[in-house]
Amino acid sequence: MKQRLMSKNARDTLVYGILGIISFLLVWQLACLFTNFGRIFPTPGESFRALMLAFVEPIGKYTIVGHIATSLRRVLIGYVLSSVCGIFLGLLMGYSEMANAILFPIFSIIRPIPGIAWIPLAILWIGIGESTIYFIIFMGGFSQMVMNTIDGAQQVNRELVGVAKVLGIRRHQLFGRILLPSAVPYIFTGLQTSLSTSWMAVLAAEMITATEGVGWLILSGMQTGRVVNNVIGMLSIGGVGLILASLLREAERRLCIWSVRS
Amino acid sequence: MKKKTKYALISVASLIVFIAVWQFLSTSGILSARKLPPPSKLFNTFIYKLQNKKPDGSMLGTHIWISLQEALYGFALGMVIGVPLGISMAWFDKFDKFFKPLFDIIKPIPPVGWVPIMITFFGIGMMSKVSVIFIASVIPAIINSYSGIKQTKDVHLWVAQTFGASRMKMLFTIAIPSAGPMIFTGARVALNGSWVSLVAAELIASTKGLGYMIQTARLIGRIDIVFVGVLVIGLFGAMLMGLLTFIEKKFVKGGRR
Repeated sequence: MKQRLMSKNARDTLVYGILGIISFLLVWQLACLFTNFGRIFPTPGESFRALMLAFVEPIGKYTIVGHIATSLRRVLIGYVLSSVCGIFLGLLMGYSEMANAILFPIFSIIRPIPGIAWIPLAILWIGIGESTIYFIIFMGGFSQMVMNTIDGAQQVNRELVGVAKVLGIRRHQLFGRILLPSAVPYIFTGLQTSLSTSWMAVLAAEMITATEGVGWLILSGMQTGRVVNNVIGMLSIGGVGLILASLLREAERRLCIWSVRS
Repeated sequence: MKKKTKYALISVASLIVFIAVWQFLSTSGILSARKLPPPSKLFNTFIYKLQNKKPDGSMLGTHIWISLQEALYGFALGMVIGVPLGISMAWFDKFDKFFKPLFDIIKPIPPVGWVPIMITFFGIGMMSKVSVIFIASVIPAIINSYSGIKQTKDVHLWVAQTFGASRMKMLFTIAIPSAGPMIFTGARVALNGSWVSLVAAELIASTKGLGYMIQTARLIGRIDIVFVGVLVIGLFGAMLMGLLTFIEKKFVKGGRR
């Protein structure tokens, strides 16, 4: 009986989901056919065809796979750098009150500035090139990483620390056995939010300074009036973003078994 | 208490040393003042920009006002549409099943990605910015109010059912109030996202606003104005967040202390 109920629920999910997507596509198609919208915007069919075509025919320098790969490489470099530095600084500030007192005021000037706002400064400092893009991605994720790590480091259960001290733990053991493991779930939350801001920062940076990458693809669609490029750029961004986020969630589930959060 | 004052003093001292070192490095010529203008210069530029329209056509106050307006319109619109949508998706099963897959496709696209399309539709005026910010805030609003409602305690609902409450009554007297803190978390994320994507949208195409100001200043090489603009963006971002935290503390029960 229960199984039949379940399968009915699953069937409903499928049916309504497909209905939802179909009605969206239908509205899109109808809007293209009957309103001014269609004069600038491609129909779903055209967009799909263009997306498939983009895999074989290059747009600008590369095919769509090349653009995605370029953007991914940039994100990865900037993201890894910013995570390593952010976790280090966060742990330092979270554990040592002294370091916190010295660094926090300076950090709190930088913290509220969005990564994207650094673009003009970065261009003036470094010029136009790969390192500028890395820098922007770095700044995009950095402060979130630091804040989350500080939170995690300060959130450690005081009783655990007390018990460990009574049982005669050494200082370096305290860090590795208790403080670090209890901060790791927070660090993972930081890694997740920072990944999505990094992905956003690379788009903005590419729109402004680059000549390849997914951000450039979207912007070139606007500049040349080929809105199709725009649409396929967005579809690929959405797809890649989705894959990245689920990869990271899976990694957290496997690596972070002691975390009880869902 | 004494320890606290000690650390507070260290913080103040650290900030003063930081600014002094910065001032020294760029006035003495160790770091080029063209790359890193000294704080005193930045302060002068700030005062100058408050009263002068040069070089980008508007005073600093105007840029701030335009940016704030765009951000808040988009944010308000996103909340007004996103929160009810998230709530109904969580409460009405069919609604959820209908919108979920569609939403899952749109969700991972960063708001910045929408900028070119919105500009194609609405031009480079206010409308395109507001619509990008709308997207930046509607998505977290939906996600958070959705999970807020989903986290309603079953026991509470059972009690209400036992006393014969209708589904609608349960929604308004149990589910929505208990989702309050989550909805505010959504608002926080949304506001943050709004401010970020506003800057991005203004950098890419606009004629007024803080993002426009720093972009033009970059093009003519006025790094001092870029600096002032970036700091002002940070300051107002922090102020908006502070305001939201204040409202949350005042009106929502059971949220953060």
